Amino acid sequence: MIRFVYIIVGMAVLLLSSGIASGFERFPPPDFESGYEQPSPTTPNPRQDIYEYIDAFVLLAVLSLASYLVLRKRRRRLIFVLSILSLFYFGFWREGCVCPIGAIQNVALSIFDSDYAVPITVMIFFLLPLVFTLFFGRIFCAAVCPLGAIQDVVLLRPTSVPEWLESGLRLFAYVYLAAAVLFAATGSAFIICRYDPFISFFRLSGDFNMLILGVCFLFVGMFIGRPYCRFACPYGIIMRQLSRISKWRVAITPDDCIKCRLCEDSCPFGAIRAPTEDWSPQDYNKNKKLLVVLILLLPVLVFSCGWIGFALRPVTSRMHATVRLADGIYLEETGQAQETTDTSSAFRATGKEVQDLYAEALDIQAEFGLGGWIFGGFVGLVIALKLIVLSLRRQRTDYEAGRAGCLACGRCFEYCPKEHTKRKLAKETIDKS
Amino acid sequence: MNKRLGTTNIKILVAVFVAIAIAVIALIRLDTTGKKGSGLGKEFTYDLKNLGKIDPNLILYKGSVRAISTGFTNSRAIALDSKGIIYIAGDKVIRKFAEAGNLLGETHVADMPMCLTIANDDKMYIGFKDHVEVYDGQGKPLATWENLGNDAVLTSIAVSNNDVFVADAGNRIVYRFNTTGKLINRIGGKDKDKNIPGFFVPSPHFDLAVGHDGLLRVANPGNHRIEAYTSEGDLEFSWGKFSNVNINSFCGCCNPVNFAILADESFVTCEKGLIRVKIYDRDGSFAGVVAGSKQLTGKAGRICNIPAECQSRAFDVAVDAHDRIFVLDTTKNIVRIFTKIKEE
Repeated sequence: MIRFVYIIVGMAVLLLSSGIASGFERFPPPDFESGYEQPSPTTPNPRQDIYEYIDAFVLLAVLSLASYLVLRKRRRRLIFVLSILSLFYFGFWREGCVCPIGAIQNVALSIFDSDYAVPITVMIFFLLPLVFTLFFGRIFCAAVCPLGAIQDVVLLRPTSVPEWLESGLRLFAYVYLAAAVLFAATGSAFIICRYDPFISFFRLSGDFNMLILGVCFLFVGMFIGRPYCRFACPYGIIMRQLSRISKWRVAITPDDCIKCRLCEDSCPFGAIRAPTEDWSPQDYNKNKKLLVVLILLLPVLVFSCGWIGFALRPVTSRMHATVRLADGIYLEETGQAQETTDTSSAFRATGKEVQDLYAEALDIQAEFGLGGWIFGGFVGLVIALKLIVLSLRRQRTDYEAGRAGCLACGRCFEYCPKEHTKRKLAKETIDKS
Repeated sequence: MNKRLGTTNIKILVAVFVAIAIAVIALIRLDTTGKKGSGLGKEFTYDLKNLGKIDPNLILYKGSVRAISTGFTNSRAIALDSKGIIYIAGDKVIRKFAEAGNLLGETHVADMPMCLTIANDDKMYIGFKDHVEVYDGQGKPLATWENLGNDAVLTSIAVSNNDVFVADAGNRIVYRFNTTGKLINRIGGKDKDKNIPGFFVPSPHFDLAVGHDGLLRVANPGNHRIEAYTSEGDLEFSWGKFSNVNINSFCGCCNPVNFAILADESFVTCEKGLIRVKIYDRDGSFAGVVAGSKQLTGKAGRICNIPAECQSRAFDVAVDAHDRIFVLDTTKNIVRIFTKIKEE
């Protein structure tokens, strides 16, 4: 109860400190001719080089320490403390930027735009957690990601989410990932950063609606563990796939599983997989037929979703500022809009031809057409694979942490009696020596 | 820290759904393209439409029916000679117009002229970005003065007897030359001993004129006032104050941008941003309005939307011997002539 009060008070303080500042615009804005460019209020100032490298070093150190705590020490309390430190360093101190999640967009843009080069530190932030995932599982989610940590803090009364619902909701994260890549690759927007629900807390400022969104995520996170990580995080989607093939990974028990079922309900993220039962011959045949149908359905789903993505290009391309501007100018030119906007006035002040703008907008829309095929095709492929996986037989004899879904938080360790026996033995050995 | 999974009860389910609904509404209301503006309340709104409205009783002048079209694409400055001929600078040319608007001649120059003045002997003193050139009445070049350096941005020039005063917005200083181009002294530099605060010039608009009393008047736009200096550089007095609301004051960050002096020693001031031309008496008391934004631009509010546009839209002003006021509209590159219709 006291913890609950602390959290409510903390959230209220964050909200208040992010309130609207009073102030007046001084008109007209000073118009210097010194070449000075007004800083953008939506993007924090870049950090000095040395700090960027320090950040990269801290990331490496925290990932290493987290791997040690998760796989060797197996202590939830220490993992939690480390995640709180990460929350303050990577979240509040570094104001959540650069983060590996948003770096997806930098990488996507650099691939499709030869004029854009990813800074080395951004690349480090993008790759390092993935490399660690390949070796140790989702260590980054466990104790390094500030977005995960802030949700972990508020998790008061975890409730279970049915597996079918969890799997269905996770589809949103795949769509989000595909959309983030599409919009970044076309130079339209970095939507992961724009819609980061916790960034307002980290920067102690932001749009009121984003604050509301963050509060809602935290509220839901009180009952459903880490909703952003499980159902929205695009980086989590990449890590899920890499974690499936990781060299080492979290094991609930340090020894053989005795199937005591004590750990069964310990994971608030629904990542513990129970032992499977053998299928009856009827079930086997039924699922075999279903698998054939679904495999045949795969290209249909990929094509139809791809087509939908392509058909949506008039909508999706409006994320690009040039297309929006061309739309606005067109409405003004055809008399459908009565008043000009700041953007259209600024465009006209450049003296550029309207027809050139329209041509540019059409080129961008064509890019969105191709991107739409890829985006939709990817989503269709994910849906098809999810359906196929349902018809595949899984063989598990023990309670296991799901390879993809386990966030390596270490909550389940404490529930395993074998863990306690091991610790007791270790303590006795130390005492004797 | 460790909580075993609980069962979902109906209260939690409802609370979660309500939170999700609120989150969706917040997402929908999010204005990512800035289309909805700042989202601040009315108390934060700077409503220029109301500020642009001017009480008709304050308007003392009437504009000419037809404006003089200058043919410039980028006009910069206006000046009149003693015979009432209008000189306009811009587009690397100085054009002479009769009052009726017919072109009398033009003088091509090598660079963009920033300011000009016509001496009593009809010599043209033209200020470029970093130097002054002198031409005779027929447009024949007579002299090119020393370059004042890369930081110089000359914005105004005035001749009085043997002195030529040049305002440099880049260096925030006024130069006093003699008519042969020899630098005599600098005026207006920050000097605590002389109680001179220095000029605050946030934008390249920095005007000066010589009063009928012989004192040099210099606009200090960042301080929203006009200062009077002796030719030796002593600050005698100043007047003017800032207000965005009261018409008797100067608005915005840096005004007045230009001014001229009438025969009765009263001042015609020109402001940018919220464009208006006003009259102040010799002591700096507000006397009335020549024209507001509505009369000058057809709009009651600001005429510019972006900083670059605002920057290029500072109107210039000049007066003739009959106290008529000539306003150079640098937006439309036309000259409007205002004649007094009633006393203050």
